[in-house]
Amino acid sequence: MIVDGLTFVGDSLFGHRATTADLIAAMDEAGIDRAVVCPVKPRTYRLAPENERIADAARQHRGRLVGFGRVDPLLGDEAAEDADAALGELGLSGLFLHPWEETFRVGASLVDAVVAVAQAHGAPVLAATGYPWLSEALQVADLARRFPDVTFLMTNGGQLNISGLGQTDAELALAQNPNLLVQTAGVYREDFLEGVVERFGAERLVFASSFPLLDARLELLRVRELHVDENERANVLGGNLVSLLQLT
Amino acid sequence: MIIDAHMHVDDLPALGWKLDADLCIRRMDEAGIDAAVVMTITDWPEVNAKSIEFLAEVCAAHPGRLYAFARIHPWYGDEAIAALQRAITVHGFKGLKLHPVTTIAHPAGTETLRLIRAAAALDTPTLFHCGDEPLTTPLAVAQAAEECPEATIILGHMGGYFHVDEAIEVAERLPNIVLETSAMPYPEKVREAVARVGAERVLYASDGPACSPALEVAKVRRAGLAPEAEQALLGENARRILHLVA
Repeated sequence: MIVDGLTFVGDSLFGHRATTADLIAAMDEAGIDRAVVCPVKPRTYRLAPENERIADAARQHRGRLVGFGRVDPLLGDEAAEDADAALGELGLSGLFLHPWEETFRVGASLVDAVVAVAQAHGAPVLAATGYPWLSEALQVADLARRFPDVTFLMTNGGQLNISGLGQTDAELALAQNPNLLVQTAGVYREDFLEGVVERFGAERLVFASSFPLLDARLELLRVRELHVDENERANVLGGNLVSLLQLT
Repeated sequence: MIIDAHMHVDDLPALGWKLDADLCIRRMDEAGIDAAVVMTITDWPEVNAKSIEFLAEVCAAHPGRLYAFARIHPWYGDEAIAALQRAITVHGFKGLKLHPVTTIAHPAGTETLRLIRAAAALDTPTLFHCGDEPLTTPLAVAQAAEECPEATIILGHMGGYFHVDEAIEVAERLPNIVLETSAMPYPEKVREAVARVGAERVLYASDGPACSPALEVAKVRRAGLAPEAEQALLGENARRILHLVA
């Protein structure tokens, strides 16, 4: 089974837009069976209604979409309430944090309140990572160190740098925090991804497309072209998320 | 014919990066690539005083498959220019590579401009690392392109992750800029670049073998270009800019 670890549905303040039908069509074209779907930051700046839309989409496409809720830790108690609602009554499967778009430092103590909610629900936390100053791999690692019982996933290999300058920090973050995984979307250097499998095990690497920001078919090819064995590839492409999210 | 305009051969134990010529050839064969331009990751003479002779030997061992760009530190003034001239005229190198992250030499600094002009005087291009870091952004490199209109300036990675629109904008403004596609993850931006600056100024490259040449070729094909434009990106433009006879 191929499971995409990061997609977006909604009309983003930042200009990208996709409907649930667009996502399903892209999954069908690429050959992706299931996808984690996250809310965008909408023009209203209000994330809670987006979480409800994602929950509706996940209910309507129960066999294809797994919804994550998005919260803004800067909102304090309201963010914790939103996280609890997302993981409780809305039935979403994880929390998504976007420190760059919401403008908070991911390792800051104010983030603890929403991660504590994820911990209470036994849910993973997916953090948009690789953004300078706010969401670098070691900053996510700092958060992960405070919550060893929570599984954290870093997008983009934990680094968005086309010189490879962020790779060593991403590797240190993985080495020091067994509860930390990285995704594959848009990663600079496929040998970095192969190195994650070799050094830390295929169970630490998760396929993701970042649709519609990136091209789902090309991002799937990024994993298909990796020089790893087929059991490892199967775990990266879906097995790891099937286990983590208890997909059936 | 497919020509990859940006690959690396080097050995950096400090980073754990070992990129050898045989790996380049294997990855090229996997992707159906006929020839490639290779360069070191280290600069001459710091930290690699032997880089020019090293690459000359690598290319001599793979005639018709591997060509070289000389990566040179601009701060060495006359010595740097002499090294570049020796690389091109004695060893047949095809151009200059500059990576301001490793040299912290501004693209439009006096010494950098001298080196770019020396490359242009020998009818060879300058490939800049052009990403998201200070000293490498499209607007910084464009300062050099504006100062040296006679030079062909290639923006490697065409702006990286967050500066791709700026790379296309400076290429629209300055006719001596060529956009190079390696590692930049957006196939639709390849298509947009062709539409806005013309297929003759967009160049396929992979930044392999660490980045996958097969994936990078697939990215260009995923851009959905007309067959003539696709062939220009994948081979014809490099053949023209590098004066390859094959």
